[in-house]
Amino acid sequence: MLKVTYVWEWPVRITHWVNVISIVVLSVTGYYIGDPFITVQSTDQYVMGWMRAIHFAFAYAFSLSILVRLIWAIFGNEYAKFKAFFPWASKEGWKHIVGTFCYYTFLKKELPHAVGHNALAGMAYSGVFVLFMVQVVTGFALYGQFAPGSGWDNVFGSLLVTFGAQGMRLTHHVVMWLLIGFSIHHVYSGWLMDIKEKNGTLGSIFGGYKFVEREDN
Amino acid sequence: MKDLKAPTPVSIPEETLRKAEARGVSRRDFIKFCTATTATLALPMTLVPKVAQAVEDNRVPVIWVEYQSCSGDSEAFLRSNQPTAGDIILDFISLEYSEVVMAAAGHLAEEAKHAAMKKYAGKYVLVVEGSIPTGDGGVYCTTGGISAVDSCKELVKNAAATICVGSCSSFGGIPAAAPNPTGAVSVMDLVPGAPIINLPGCPVNAQNFTATVVHFLTFGSLPATDRLGRPKFGYGKRIHDNCERRGHFDAGQYAEAFGDAAHRDGHCLYKLGCKGPETFHNCPTVRYNEGVSWPVMSGHGCIGCSEPQFWDTMTPFYRRLPKVPGFGVEASVDKIGLGLAAATAVAFGAHGVMSAVRGGDKSDKD
Amino acid sequence: MANKIAVDPITRIEGHLRIEAQLEGGKIVNAWSSSTAFRGIETILKGRDPRDAHHFTQRFCGVCTTVHSMASIRAVEDALKIEIPTNARLIRNLIMGIQNVQDHVIHFYHLHALDWVDITSALAADPAATSKLAQSISDWPKSSTDYFKGVKERIAAFVNTGRLGPFQNAYWGHSAYKLPPEANLMAVAHYLEALEWQKDVIKIHAILGSKNPHPQTFLVGGVASPVDPNSQNGINADKIALMMKLFKKARDFVEKVYIPDLLAVAPFYTDWAGIGGGVGNFLSYGDFPESGGNDVDSYFFPRGIILGKDIANVLPVDERLITEYVTNSWYNYSGGDNKGLHPYQGETNHNYTGPKPPYKWLDTDGKYSWVKSPRYNDQPMEVGPLARILVAYGAGVPEVKGAVDFVLNTLGVGAGALFSTLGRTAARGVDCLILAQRNEKWLNELAANIGRGDYEVHNKERWDPSTWPSEAQGYGTHEAPRGALGHWIRIENGKIANYQAVVPSTWNAGPRDAAGQMGPYEAALIGTPIADPNKPVEILRTIHSFDPCLACAVH
Ligand code: HEM
Ligand code: HEM
Ligand code: NFV
Ligand code: SF4
Ligand code: SF4
Ligand code: F3S
Ligand SMILES: [Mg+2]
Repeated sequence: MLKVTYVWEWPVRITHWVNVISIVVLSVTGYYIGDPFITVQSTDQYVMGWMRAIHFAFAYAFSLSILVRLIWAIFGNEYAKFKAFFPWASKEGWKHIVGTFCYYTFLKKELPHAVGHNALAGMAYSGVFVLFMVQVVTGFALYGQFAPGSGWDNVFGSLLVTFGAQGMRLTHHVVMWLLIGFSIHHVYSGWLMDIKEKNGTLGSIFGGYKFVEREDN
Repeated sequence: MKDLKAPTPVSIPEETLRKAEARGVSRRDFIKFCTATTATLALPMTLVPKVAQAVEDNRVPVIWVEYQSCSGDSEAFLRSNQPTAGDIILDFISLEYSEVVMAAAGHLAEEAKHAAMKKYAGKYVLVVEGSIPTGDGGVYCTTGGISAVDSCKELVKNAAATICVGSCSSFGGIPAAAPNPTGAVSVMDLVPGAPIINLPGCPVNAQNFTATVVHFLTFGSLPATDRLGRPKFGYGKRIHDNCERRGHFDAGQYAEAFGDAAHRDGHCLYKLGCKGPETFHNCPTVRYNEGVSWPVMSGHGCIGCSEPQFWDTMTPFYRRLPKVPGFGVEASVDKIGLGLAAATAVAFGAHGVMSAVRGGDKSDKD
Repeated sequence: MANKIAVDPITRIEGHLRIEAQLEGGKIVNAWSSSTAFRGIETILKGRDPRDAHHFTQRFCGVCTTVHSMASIRAVEDALKIEIPTNARLIRNLIMGIQNVQDHVIHFYHLHALDWVDITSALAADPAATSKLAQSISDWPKSSTDYFKGVKERIAAFVNTGRLGPFQNAYWGHSAYKLPPEANLMAVAHYLEALEWQKDVIKIHAILGSKNPHPQTFLVGGVASPVDPNSQNGINADKIALMMKLFKKARDFVEKVYIPDLLAVAPFYTDWAGIGGGVGNFLSYGDFPESGGNDVDSYFFPRGIILGKDIANVLPVDERLITEYVTNSWYNYSGGDNKGLHPYQGETNHNYTGPKPPYKWLDTDGKYSWVKSPRYNDQPMEVGPLARILVAYGAGVPEVKGAVDFVLNTLGVGAGALFSTLGRTAARGVDCLILAQRNEKWLNELAANIGRGDYEVHNKERWDPSTWPSEAQGYGTHEAPRGALGHWIRIENGKIANYQAVVPSTWNAGPRDAAGQMGPYEAALIGTPIADPNKPVEILRTIHSFDPCLACAVH
């Protein structure tokens, strides 16, 4: 018997989609900042100027969204809690990790059952959140350079000394590609789960509900 | 009624001007120098008289030593304009020791250095050019049989203040570039905690040097610095934020090759590897050789010469970003990234096909 | 070792030079030249992008600042077979040309003069007589009685402060100083004028390449300074006019101050035409291409060697015969230290075996310097303005023949006098004069070429490493102010596999080789009289006549 379960509460869904849109915009503008492939003829254009302005605007949106999601990891339901991101912290979780891994690598045909994130996905998300944080930190550190002594420079500026401005830039740039790589994998496995688990995974991130076997609850 | 002849706040006392004149410095030159230096220091013009008096009254003893250096900073000093090197040596400081300039040689030169160090202990300004090799007991640089390590420590400890001219003494510079064969370090790493100011640049901009000396004379202290010990007046702003080509950067106008139309038109050098966006230095405003030019103005990107370890972090110089460690010379971060994205897509595409053709999957709850 | 002396530091040079000398009967009978500082830049270069190398090598030296960029890009261009555009050739000539001129003037007035000029004696000079002397040798305008009076007063005021600064503890009053007070005062005035002049004329480097020291415009394949008469951001008519003015200012000073001073001072020191001869072999790579990109046959100063002072026979240079020894230098070679290595196979494995600092004496029986010992066909060679001038003179370059004969005739000496401390100093003057006069020609050619609509400054055909062969090697030479400079590079998979520089001061300052042959400094010191072992001004005279640069020599 299938039952409809409310898995993703609205803060999870909203932050997810704010993140998705931000990342797309930040990647396009960020790529341009790194490699300005459009070169214009006239000085009255403002291409790089806009790219950077948009990058910074979405940078704020993105950072805020991540902050909200982290806070929700404290107040939200069981699927939203930090626990879901760190399956390796429990014995049960380990079983899930091994099981899911074997399924993905075609070693086994059974997929361990999960209502929220499956174990591997949860781990991947914790990794992705780390990458998010890296982007925020390196991003705002670079952002602080134009005004030494300003707020952002005071917060993150010393990292520029420790890791070097170029090191921070390169990291910021490389992480963009890691996130793009993740996105490809993520959308694919969302689709895979949707088909295999037949539980409405894809739809759930829009509406919040998944179809779950009754006995589960 | 107001006395129209009352001195304006920026006028230099007659007495000071006369003293300068007596020493052969024309009034005009002296006023010009004091004003320009006050400006470089980003001080209000009301302080010009104070600067003038400070310069006039104390010829501060200066000991200028060179360790692992190329003498580029000494040469930069010889190109000073306001005041000129000649004026500085004869009128503003008392240069007790400088290997490039001094007449004495051998043990007599060394004696002059030691005598000055004793006589002016706690009062002299030490200028250091070049890094200090700490490897293998300091054998990689000696003068008069004394290692740079020992010499530098002693001189710094007895100085009122130490000014590091150039990136070598400030941050280790080229001798400290990987693999740093001689264990070269900066002065602040050799003698932590001493009153040191760093004037990096390869070489130092002479104007920043004279301004620092004058600041010291005027206020008896070193100017405020950033995290890296660089004075804010010279290193408080990014090249990129003061660059005359910034308009082209924002517009999206870039030189794609040296000598192309955009390059000739003075468009932004970002795509040719300019490191202005990560470099703090007042090159665009102060420029070099009496304001004639600076790297970007002459069509070559900034190489970040005032930043720590720039020989390692800013290279390759003609590329915006450093190499990704572990990949070949040719690979740019975008090529690698694109490869990564494509590989992921291909891998998951294959995975998808495999999953689709395989039947009988079940959930453990099925 | 009562009669052994050490002069360390040798001042008024670039870098860390130490001379040890054995005296007998008031003369030097044995000498050792040592550099006491090492940075290891050849090692640092390994594995880097060959297009970046010139920025690194430029930092060998901030005095001759442009020369290692030049040699480096030429080496890479040779390895990758890159031809440079005409504008780039001319701009490079101009940068090199003014470098040599400015460097020589600084050397003469600020590094070398105090060996011959006693500043303190200038205080006894009569300004009116000084004015008369100055006007008798040149029509340089700054020569009035009032002018010299002003200079004298300024010096007196300085001396009266009781704080002599850089002029304290020198050899003032030494019996070897021979100039009358008036000549000393004139020289002091010109010392100060030259200090002003050098910073002005070198603005040409800033116009063409952003700054000096360490201009930033060299590129593998050309230069980065754009050329465009219709842009304010390139070299245009305005900048050419400004440079024209500066080149003229440079030439005026050399013609009206430096050369007349040289000719006025030399007669008081003719005994130095018989001291300081050295090894008697001379090497010049030649330079200043006047056609094509870097066409050796078009060099204004020709390439050649002279062996055993035989000016009549200028021999061709075979690059393959160059080797470096480390028998007495603080390095070891994987194949044994007694074999010379050609720079393509060169190694820089530092291995200090000298005394632990602080020390009093070096172990001159073993290794005793950071400078290697370059040899041509196993012969020590002197390089520098003297070598350049001798080769050009022997090869019959008219400008050089004219200038050398004029100087020899004025001083009333034969060509044999050139092989000496005085000859070396005079040859530097001749070199400076000839280049000061040549620069304006190249500037006119640049203007004409731009006028023809050629705005090309960089050949980018092989800029991208994907166009390079997986292995390549090449060498680049240059006539730096101090002489024959060569860089050798091996490139593998787009990276530097080996980089070796054999520098003018390496040739001149190097220690003994495996066969025990002295280097030029050492050989030149033999026989030099020393009046007062405590104040060996004579050592400074001969050593300074080479214009040492030890940061260059060791790198
Ligand atoms: C997923 C998130 C993000 C992505 C994918 C991204 C991507 C990029 C990329 C590719 C660059 C060019 C780097 C280079 O090659 O130099 C860049 C530059 C930059 N990003 Fe981001 N970024 C993200 C988030 C942020 C955030 C949160 C900030 C915070 C302010 C930020 C601030 C900056 C700044 C200041 C620059 C340099 C701009 C300049 O030099 O003009 N980024 N970004
Ligand atoms: C069309 C695009 C996308 C779809 C349809 C989608 C779908 C989903 C779904 C269904 C989930 C829940 C997964 C689960 O059950 O474990 C999810 C979670 C998540 N997605 Fe996406 N996603 C998309 C794009 C992205 C992108 C581009 C990123 C970031 C790079 C991203 C990051 C995440 C993260 C971090 C979570 C965990 C959410 C949380 O717990 O807060 N998604 N996504
Ligand atoms: N020796 C030397 Fe240099 C020169 N000229 C370079 O090649 O001085 Ni610094
Ligand atoms: S900082 Fe640059 S100019 Fe100064 S000594 Fe070092 S290499 Fe030479
Ligand atoms: S030339 Fe360099 S410093 Fe100037 S705007 Fe462009 S990137 Fe910035
Ligand atoms: S290379 Fe150095 S000189 Fe200024 S423009 Fe860049 S900091
Ligand atoms: Mg070498």
